[in-house]
Amino acid sequence: MLTLQNASVMRGRMLTLDDVSLSLAAGRTLAVVGESGAGKSTLIAAVLGLVKLHRGRIAWNDAPVATIRPALVMQEPRAAFNPALNLRRSVMEPLTARRLTPDPVRLARFCDGLELPRDLLDRRPDQVSIGQAQRVGILRALIAAPPLVLFDEPLSALDAVTQKHTARLIAQLQAEEGFAALIVTHDLGYAAAYADDIAVLRAGRLQEVQPAHAFIAAPQTEYGHTLRDAAFALGALEHVA
Amino acid sequence: MRSVIVLAIVFVMFAVVGPILAPHDPTAINIPQRLSPPNSQWFLGTDALGRDILSRLLHGARWSLGLAFLISLIGLAIGTVVGLAAALGGKWMDWAIMRVTDMFLAFPELVAAVVIAGLMGASTASLIFALSIVGWMRYARVARGIGLSLESRGYVIQARLAGMSPLSIARWHYLPSLLPSLIVVWTGMFARAILGISALGFLGFGVQPPTPEWGTMLLDARIHMRSTPLQMIWPGLAVVACVLAINLAGDSLRDALAERERSA
Amino acid sequence: MIGAVSGLLLRSVVVLTGTALLTFVLLWNAPGDPALSIAQARYATVVSGDVLEQVRAEAGLDGGFWTAFRGWIEPLLVGDFGQSSVTGRDVWPDLLTAASYTVPLALMGLGIGMVIALPLAILATRRPGSWMDRLAVALASLGAAIPAYWLGLLLILLFAVTLAWLPAMGARTPAHAILPAMTLGFGVAAALTRIIRSGILEARGQSFLPALRRRGVTHRAIGRDHVAPHAAIPVITVFGLELAFLLEGLVMVEVIFARPGLGSFLVSAILARDFPKVQAAVLLTALIFVTINLAIDLIYRVIDPRIGARDA
Repeated sequence: MLTLQNASVMRGRMLTLDDVSLSLAAGRTLAVVGESGAGKSTLIAAVLGLVKLHRGRIAWNDAPVATIRPALVMQEPRAAFNPALNLRRSVMEPLTARRLTPDPVRLARFCDGLELPRDLLDRRPDQVSIGQAQRVGILRALIAAPPLVLFDEPLSALDAVTQKHTARLIAQLQAEEGFAALIVTHDLGYAAAYADDIAVLRAGRLQEVQPAHAFIAAPQTEYGHTLRDAAFALGALEHVA
Repeated sequence: MRSVIVLAIVFVMFAVVGPILAPHDPTAINIPQRLSPPNSQWFLGTDALGRDILSRLLHGARWSLGLAFLISLIGLAIGTVVGLAAALGGKWMDWAIMRVTDMFLAFPELVAAVVIAGLMGASTASLIFALSIVGWMRYARVARGIGLSLESRGYVIQARLAGMSPLSIARWHYLPSLLPSLIVVWTGMFARAILGISALGFLGFGVQPPTPEWGTMLLDARIHMRSTPLQMIWPGLAVVACVLAINLAGDSLRDALAERERSA
Repeated sequence: MIGAVSGLLLRSVVVLTGTALLTFVLLWNAPGDPALSIAQARYATVVSGDVLEQVRAEAGLDGGFWTAFRGWIEPLLVGDFGQSSVTGRDVWPDLLTAASYTVPLALMGLGIGMVIALPLAILATRRPGSWMDRLAVALASLGAAIPAYWLGLLLILLFAVTLAWLPAMGARTPAHAILPAMTLGFGVAAALTRIIRSGILEARGQSFLPALRRRGVTHRAIGRDHVAPHAAIPVITVFGLELAFLLEGLVMVEVIFARPGLGSFLVSAILARDFPKVQAAVLLTALIFVTINLAIDLIYRVIDPRIGARDA
């Protein structure tokens, strides 16, 4: 279980993450929503240990998060891959770092599940579509079977059709693999459709945490209302409500 | 642009095949024929000991260019390792390494090389040591600078999360991005090494006689400036031609690189 | 600002201390027995063991490395550079005399370089790509490829040997400085032309210039008020880099023209294995270099306050 206790991150003289306490149980999905600049990316960086905590602590079952080697799916699918290397080498990094050899059956199953052609991994990042690159990114995140996967705006670089498709694939793989997912997104529709819980972040502070359906039905805070109503107005919540 | 690179390659080829083309033994002393002007037997004349200047120039190419190549490669290796260590080793490592680099930069390279080679005693080994030890800082700065800019790239973060060691991150993710810029620095340092070798040779701290080397040849020729001024022209021309060709090749490489980055 | 200045000063002190230590390590590990070369220089080619030990003790070479280092650095901190191990004379006055020859020569070289480079670069950038521009670039490339010692020899050959217009060797009259200064100046001019040219071109490419032109600001006023300050920063940078070139050139030029000065002081001290003199010359060179670079860093902060902000 991932726990954040009073986690704060200081950037310059500003707290970009201010006293955030959250928890995410194994196999569950938590979506963190908020507008840009709300501290969502900082939250991810803090969980991954890429930035130092100013106060508080973040742990996975009382151990540092780094010990379970969490994986990250990034917002910009192509930037996550070294342009000079073929995709296979990048995808295998979580295994090569541990001197493990890839299990061909597992790899083939992932490729099929993510609808990636067999030869795709031998191409370079600029030779595949954005949607394919993002699915390869998911493949890399899952290859070493981490118990925790973080998704940083995983859909925002994709077009509408690819977004739906990718969201479904992530949910399907989560059901098979059983990892805990922390999804950071500004897309409340996506959060409502796929997350167990929704946390609202604003200016680095946690506004509220609720089960997804409860949040959509009745946000507890004024800001939560604003967010939900804006999403309703855009028609993003039609299929949920 | 391409022609300049070809020209530079031709000069390097000279260093390889030059000695085969030499019409005479570069160290064969022939006192009766000393200080001969250019003629059909001695195309560029002879020096004070009657040695064929053309043959000495051609053999000298191997020393001047070969040593410069070696020295600039040693600098490249040291500088890349140091720069990457600074970029990847964390804040304190970076601070310490950059102060050491500053120390080495706190002194004009060639003057430092003169001091080092002079104190170590004149020999080819001390020449190589002296010029390599003063020739790595530019590489280090470039490697560190680009390295620090790579730190926030998605694929570098991914590699770190995957648990790749700093060494393999340096090898697979940093080195390929560094290489083009390092090669541009290298051409400049190659040219500087040619100048440095001949300067040390000219001061008497470099390659020792009777080995033909352009700077030492110039030192010998200087005494006979009045009687045979041409003898002094050839080795200097050889240095200028090589340095010019390599510098121009480096410039066009740099322009090509800038062009590629602009279009990317 | 005060914090930044004291930071830069601290950095300079660290660098100078390190340079002193590095030089001393180098001298300590140099092959050959320094005591022997001192004794030979003072007394005779054949030296008895007793004399050798006496010399060793006098020169402070009988303790360990740190004893010797402290024996050198402690008087240095109060401005005592010690005595020449060969002649026994104080190093400092000799060093001053040498500098009194070198500094004017360096300034003349810089002056000649500027006088050539500035008009050449301005003419070249009037129309980029014109024959004038290409000529300037070609001259600059050629100049960068010609080693100072060869250029010096060619000038001697032409003006002193063939034409017999100018004296070449020594420093007896002001005319003796002309050829060395020209040798230095041409090299400086080559590098400066290049940098001033690209500095001007880059400044012209700045996005605000067309807007100024549309507002009816004259060509000349734009050049003076907007292009010149932008071109100044790379020129100052290059002045720092040129300094290294200048010091290197000075060593070669002083040797070629048999002029007294810091360069020939250093080379003769190395040849005589006169360690106190070598140390003094090395440290003075480093001091000059560090001081000027410090000054350049400070000038940067005055011209463009963003630079200080970026470091913080």
